[in-house]
Amino acid sequence: MAKFEKYIRAGLLGCTILSIVITGLIILSVSSETFRFFSHVSATEFFFGTEWSPQTAIRADQAASAGSFGAVPVFLGTFLVTLIAMAVAAPLGLYAAIYLSVYAGSRFRAWAKPILEILAGVPSVVYGYFAVITIAPFLRSAGEMLGLSIASESALTAGLVMGIMITPFVMSLSEDVISAVPKSLSFGSLAMGATQSETIKKVVLPAALPGIVSALLLGVSRGVGETMVVVMAAGMAANLTLNPLESVTTATVQIMTLLVGDHEFDSDKTLSAFALGFSLFFMTLILNIVALVIVKRYRERYD
Amino acid sequence: MTRLFQRHTRIAVRRVQRKKSPFIYKSYSKKPKHRLLRKRKAQEQRFRRTGLAAIVLASLFLVSLIWNIVASGYSAFTQVQVRIPVTYEQGLIEKEAYRTIIQKSLTELFPNVENRSEKRALFGLISRNAPYILQKEVQNNPSLVGERHEVWLPVSSQISIFYKQELYRQGERGGSVSPTEAAWITALAQSKRMRLSFNAAFFTNGDSREAERAGILASTAGSLLTIIVCVLMAFPLGVATAIYLEEFAPKNWFTDFVEININNLAAVPSIIFGLLGLAVYLNMFGLPRSSSLVGGMVLALLILPVIVIATRNALQAVPRSIRFAAAALGATPTQVVFHHTLIYALPGIMTGVILSIARAFGETAPLLMIGMVAFVVDVPKIFTDPATTLPVQVYLWSNNPELGFVEKTAAAIMVLLAFMALINLLAIYIRQRFEIKW
Repeated sequence: MAKFEKYIRAGLLGCTILSIVITGLIILSVSSETFRFFSHVSATEFFFGTEWSPQTAIRADQAASAGSFGAVPVFLGTFLVTLIAMAVAAPLGLYAAIYLSVYAGSRFRAWAKPILEILAGVPSVVYGYFAVITIAPFLRSAGEMLGLSIASESALTAGLVMGIMITPFVMSLSEDVISAVPKSLSFGSLAMGATQSETIKKVVLPAALPGIVSALLLGVSRGVGETMVVVMAAGMAANLTLNPLESVTTATVQIMTLLVGDHEFDSDKTLSAFALGFSLFFMTLILNIVALVIVKRYRERYD
Repeated sequence: MTRLFQRHTRIAVRRVQRKKSPFIYKSYSKKPKHRLLRKRKAQEQRFRRTGLAAIVLASLFLVSLIWNIVASGYSAFTQVQVRIPVTYEQGLIEKEAYRTIIQKSLTELFPNVENRSEKRALFGLISRNAPYILQKEVQNNPSLVGERHEVWLPVSSQISIFYKQELYRQGERGGSVSPTEAAWITALAQSKRMRLSFNAAFFTNGDSREAERAGILASTAGSLLTIIVCVLMAFPLGVATAIYLEEFAPKNWFTDFVEININNLAAVPSIIFGLLGLAVYLNMFGLPRSSSLVGGMVLALLILPVIVIATRNALQAVPRSIRFAAAALGATPTQVVFHHTLIYALPGIMTGVILSIARAFGETAPLLMIGMVAFVVDVPKIFTDPATTLPVQVYLWSNNPELGFVEKTAAAIMVLLAFMALINLLAIYIRQRFEIKW
């Protein structure tokens, strides 16, 4: 019997170790291709170069038409789209969370919560399609009325739709944080004569700040890694621009376009996708760890 | 806060000294009289309304999303058909010249079309799929040979778009239908030879280059196969990991490390898992490209952390007293877990697993990386067949410039969303019906 127990326990431990093996495999496989890439292309060119046109390098022996691998436009595009997305998701998500946890009656909650949950459950490819079919033409005609020319694939379209997509995520995280602030704090403030909104702005939010910051960081990490919306709505051209009305490209889009339909792993072109993936992995990893650390270190304990 | 309080106290004291306290206004008057109080009330209202507006805005977005997709997709569930008199001539059937049969009956209907290019346009009214439909009918019912029947056949994609636009008055006119063709269709419609019928082909066909033939059966089957692989791999692994971490793991650096690792894994972008699948499954292990096997294995890694976290929450919700009671009756630690704790946690675990299946079902990006973008006509039968999934099919169709695919894409999205709704309802049902509140 005791032996049997031991086997089961060992089996469970084995499964647990497998989850670490997966992380190890991710890092190993992606980084080994990345190092192969950096043996061909210098890291300084990749991280500081401003020209991104990897498509020209088809095979390793085509030295004459080696592409250029300056990833700055790609990272800048990622940054721009994520920034727009967070400009939408942060206020929407925060205000929605505050309203739901402080003001909303139980009946309002009963139908508002499911709606936001549906919004979170819609697959990203659907958002992408919606961005292309509805939001992009809408923004175009709105831009024409204002005398702006908006590209049919623009950072603005992708960012707006991605923002809506991240909103429920930011909302549910910050709602948890807000409701974790002890009621006695806000009761104290209300008893002093502060209005509900003053209580929220000056008592609840400062107390919940670390949690909210980490929720926003997790939202950013979501946005940076989001693929389908940007593939469909943001475009492929690597423009070095901060103009949200132009078409930009992101790291995820480039990984997709470089690797889909490609079988060979020998060219700089495909290897550069792994370098982008590696950078993406570390960006999100750092964001997640920072979010975790902020919560751990700065959370005020009230009990 | 203190500053605010001090400021307000100061103001209040000053007012009281002047015998004009703002806080002692008639209790039944709703509108505060004092300027500062009025300002604060207005601020409060503004804040509250902004919060409401945020929720309303998000809801409006959802409504417009669903409205747009239903409005452009519902017409794909119908098929435009035309009724033509078909003579099943023995000679032609033996030669398998079903196309000629259709062409003959069309010339019979419009005898004054003689010009060569016009004739080609006339034959183009009918779907290129129609000969196969006739062939199937003859195979199923050989006694048809030599007879003459009126047969309903699907029209081509362009004609279908034109007819539906006329019928539903929807969207901008984008179809390229010539005036002659339009006249033919009007003539056919007036003689009651056109009809809309339920488009069963959309649910029974695989992908196709021709919009009127393209269906979602192959991709739906691919999705199911992928999910089966995914669950078979992720469910036991995830639950086992959670049980170990929650019930057996000693508190040490290793356990902490695993915990941090799993939490991080949950936040890794899905496309990275695609890279992993490409580099490890395809290049290192040499598993078949574009197969549902590899797709399922990639998605399993994706939902593994989600299952672990959900299972741990479910296990945590089971009260200690259950464990103590079982142990007190002589159950060994594994017996406590597998005979008692796990059973009580099962509804919670199932809810979590089903919700993570919903997530895997809607995932696209990692599957594109491992080549599930294949053009799949036939229904995949085993796990190593080339397959595609429903969301990938949506992506593929949305890239197709042909006009007929617009409604197909939206319709496929409707089916996808219906599946998502079903999966979520199942999860809600299990939670409501079986979950134990302690």
